[in-house]
Amino acid sequence: METVIQTAQLTKSFKGTNVIKPFHFSLFKGEICALIGQNGAGKSTIFKMLSGQLIPTSGEIRLFGKIEQDKEDARRRMGFLIETPAFFPDFTAEQNLKYYVLQRGIVEKNRIAEVLAIVGLANEKRKRFKEYSMGMKQRLGLALCLLSSPDCLVLDEPINGLDAEGIREIRNLLIRLNEEKQITIFISSHILTELHLLATRFVFLKDGAVVEDISKEALQEKSRKQLIVTVDDAAKAVRLLEQNYPAISYKVLPDQVITIDGHIEDGGEINRLFTMNGVTVMEFRAEARNLEEYFLELVGGAAI
Amino acid sequence: MINYLKSEQYRMLRKKSLHLTSLVCLLLISAAGAVLAYFGKTDPTFPYATSNFYYSNVLGGAGLIILVAFIVNFSLTGKDTTVLKNTISFGIKRKTVYWSKLILTFIYFLVLCIIGLSLLIGIGETFLASESGSISNLLAAVANMVPIILSAFLLIHTLKLLNMGDVYILVILLGIYGFAGNLLWVVAKKFPFFKKLYEYAPDTLMGRNLMGFMDKTAQIGYPYFLTGGLLAAAAIVIGIIQFSKKPID
Repeated sequence: METVIQTAQLTKSFKGTNVIKPFHFSLFKGEICALIGQNGAGKSTIFKMLSGQLIPTSGEIRLFGKIEQDKEDARRRMGFLIETPAFFPDFTAEQNLKYYVLQRGIVEKNRIAEVLAIVGLANEKRKRFKEYSMGMKQRLGLALCLLSSPDCLVLDEPINGLDAEGIREIRNLLIRLNEEKQITIFISSHILTELHLLATRFVFLKDGAVVEDISKEALQEKSRKQLIVTVDDAAKAVRLLEQNYPAISYKVLPDQVITIDGHIEDGGEINRLFTMNGVTVMEFRAEARNLEEYFLELVGGAAI
Repeated sequence: MINYLKSEQYRMLRKKSLHLTSLVCLLLISAAGAVLAYFGKTDPTFPYATSNFYYSNVLGGAGLIILVAFIVNFSLTGKDTTVLKNTISFGIKRKTVYWSKLILTFIYFLVLCIIGLSLLIGIGETFLASESGSISNLLAAVANMVPIILSAFLLIHTLKLLNMGDVYILVILLGIYGFAGNLLWVVAKKFPFFKKLYEYAPDTLMGRNLMGFMDKTAQIGYPYFLTGGLLAAAAIVIGIIQFSKKPID
């Protein structure tokens, strides 16, 4: 599989403080990878090193397999939106994009109209950037990312300032771009539920170091936490559990609901145990921790 | 680089404030000439309605010319540099950014200076009393000014791209182009070696150039090119090295 981004021993120090510890990472074509970490964990620093805004203290970055001089050319296949979108405040959206069309040597005449339509700004193209709301600015930032038809998008907080509908639109857009055009996406956001819906891979960062790099499937598997069972006779069910699993930990909730910690792999057996012994099972499911709970457990504490 | 130049030109042509400032500069040159010509016509004893006096005001106003250089430079290296991250992340080299902005702003400044100089000579020779040889005397003095002003332009460009605050830049300009000579003169009283450096300080040279023009003995001299060349080279070297590793936020 083609490697889009590859880093080796990548570090960054500011005034002697190691902000990014040796960062080894590979992003493969077609992935949607979420970079998750608390404020100050180093997400934006990594993105800025990838975009060339910051010069790494040491280590190597390969973009589409290219290093050094060729890496600059490889950046032309990428779209970066890092922190707040920056445009000329007194230019309209159309003029701002025209500036970049000239700069990037884009020859398609309708490209500006196309990308503005994609991000939902077709009717706001004659408004000055300084008159835009935060969400509109964010959309224009995405339009700029898409302007040169990139193969990879690197997006730092792209849904910042968007309302619920805007977030859903951008999520659907990113999924569509990934599925239809195989655009690889490397993304961060403080809205973890969104990342959970979008990403296929999760990289957790703490104090500038990767603490876990996990696929969506593995994450779902690992974050399954408890069995929730609704039965007709909770007392009998509990007795059966204690007899067969002496060390089991459970809670009996109102309405004959029992929660069992762990024992996910024993789910089928427990279900059979109940039915064989005349306990009717109305509901039987494994409940997963959400991404936020998993993250907090992993990095141990404060929210993002 | 051509694409980047095109985009910056697109931006520059839409800078209304820049064109307005240029217009004001040209109007001020015209107004000064008009005032001198008016008083020359209404008061026969008025001694300043001469092209030499008119020209000397421009030659003595190097500080103002440097201020115009600052404003022109500001058009592409001012607050707009926040959008640089979009350019750098697209793989456009920092050297391309440095040279493209410099080339465009300098061409604009050069054209403005040529128009200003033509206007100056046109008004001076048409509406004011002129002596023979005044134009060649003026052109020699202007030629001496060019390397010094160019070095100031390059220094402003470098400092703006390095994101230095405007006040700091003006203080540095004032120090180098306004007071360096005086400072070296004071130091030279204790350390005679500095006497030689004083001779080559920008403000010393500009003062000498003005005197040469007033005495009608202005000649193109190498010290102007030496000082201007060294300052310009220093500004470029500092600019290229520092800008190549500067974080773009």
